[in-house]
Amino acid sequence: MRLKVLTVDDSKTVRIIVKKSFKGFDCEITEAQNGVEGLAMAAKVNPDIILLDITMPVMDGVEMLTKLKSDPALKSIPVIMLTAEAGRENVMKIAKIGVRDYIVKPFKEDVLVDKVSRVVDLRPAGEAAPIQKKIDDPIDILVVDDKPAIISQITEGFSHTPWNVKGVSSTGEAIDFCQKKLPDCIIISLSLPEDAAITLFRIIRSNAKTKYVPLFGLSVKTAVEEQARAQQAGFSTIIHKPIDFEELESKIGKAVNLDASGKYFQMGEGYMTVKLPKSCNAAVVNEVSTYLKSKTSEAVNAGISRIIFDAQNVASLNMDVIKLLLHSMKTCRDLSLKYALTGNDVVIEESKKFEESKDWKFCDSLETAKASI
Amino acid sequence: MGLKLFLNLSGPRTIYSQDHIHPILMQQTFPISDEELEALAKNSIDSVFSTMLDRTAVIDKVIKVDEDNHSEGLQLPMDANTPMIAGTVGFLGNLTGIIYIFMELPLAMEATCKLLDMEESDIGVEDHELVNDAIGELTNMIVGTFKNDLSNKGYECRMTIPSILRGSNFSIEPAEVALRRIFKFDCDGRSFVIDVLMKEEN
Repeated sequence: MRLKVLTVDDSKTVRIIVKKSFKGFDCEITEAQNGVEGLAMAAKVNPDIILLDITMPVMDGVEMLTKLKSDPALKSIPVIMLTAEAGRENVMKIAKIGVRDYIVKPFKEDVLVDKVSRVVDLRPAGEAAPIQKKIDDPIDILVVDDKPAIISQITEGFSHTPWNVKGVSSTGEAIDFCQKKLPDCIIISLSLPEDAAITLFRIIRSNAKTKYVPLFGLSVKTAVEEQARAQQAGFSTIIHKPIDFEELESKIGKAVNLDASGKYFQMGEGYMTVKLPKSCNAAVVNEVSTYLKSKTSEAVNAGISRIIFDAQNVASLNMDVIKLLLHSMKTCRDLSLKYALTGNDVVIEESKKFEESKDWKFCDSLETAKASI
Repeated sequence: MGLKLFLNLSGPRTIYSQDHIHPILMQQTFPISDEELEALAKNSIDSVFSTMLDRTAVIDKVIKVDEDNHSEGLQLPMDANTPMIAGTVGFLGNLTGIIYIFMELPLAMEATCKLLDMEESDIGVEDHELVNDAIGELTNMIVGTFKNDLSNKGYECRMTIPSILRGSNFSIEPAEVALRRIFKFDCDGRSFVIDVLMKEEN
């Protein structure tokens, strides 16, 4: 999968230099001229990393960064500031909002490439990417926490997945583990004594073998100071306790680049079923949308011409879901595919409240839906 | 007809001019010495030219502009007939000021080609937008470096968005400023000028 880099700068010159810098890499560069365009583009393309200027017209980089970090669907995107504005006050202000790194203009192109490659997996163009794992493939998660109860809780929380959770209580054990077996993801407690989490973060990031392993900080929501220090050190994702496992699973899936389409898309018996989960928040809708085009193509290529959008488990219908379904149904019509909807009583009732969905016809089971198309 | 530039610029813009520029800053005593200012100017040019253009430039001339010694305006120390492009960025904070970079068009074109890794034929003489943007960004970097050095001396400022002027035969009218110095640089036989105007905010 090509790495998506979003450059947000009012200077066309800088945007050209960024493009030039990544010419030899397997990257897709998208551009925005200010913070407003930057936010819209981030929501549209879901980039792997954003290079952000500070002084821009319309909306500056600080305001865009603040809005980005307050948007649940976008806040985990790592940001590197690329700006002529340095100075202690500026750096401190931006570090508090949460950036992965800071490049002061003027800059050499190789410095830009080096900094970006420390955050995301930058591969030379033409080099084969590793085989993408699926959401139901086993992956190894290393948890570094001196509280055994937390390790047990995480192990238990992922017991419904094929994921292997290994718990260790110190940085030394964590380094030993990484030397023997490279984990797919590491979760580090930020409350380890003597800032051990930050020390471990730096060791992992400076080691060629482990530098690309996704790292999550784990912290009590109210420990704001601890989290700010971790963000300054470079932690881009911090998981709050008590842990929301649905959210954590989704974040790990994304960080490890697991193909999560199997959670939503199933094919068989001449049908493709798009199964929407109970909690259909913006992140879920975004994830389904990401796979929709490729899975529909896959279905068509496999000779499947009937699609069922299954909303029977959905707890509540919101505008994001309605937009997703509208878009999906239009795609079906464009491709001359037959489709049907299923829904529960709540979904059916709520659909009548929206102009866009008030005329939708729902089936009450998959069997009825299959029979209807 | 004079042209006034204000510091609260609201967006990038290009002004075509062969006019005079009236700085609008007030006379004050100034806490930075001439030697320090020259070092700031030199460092910002060294840093940007060596990093972005792989070139060096040396100070050829320094002009102190005082209220008394240039009451009738000052001709830029450059060939009046050569077309020029001027980038300008302001900064606001403990120190408020504005810096103009006046560059001969051929040098501006060379700088643009180097920055964007393009040939002159790729850009075209009439493509003002690309050259303006490149010189605007170069000015932004130069003033940014200058401003960051000021910040390290304890003067916190923030920058405005770059503006661009094009024309020839620029002259600078007298201004009431706390500090104003003009540095003429030589870069492999081509000239450019930095005009620095600053005052300390109370």
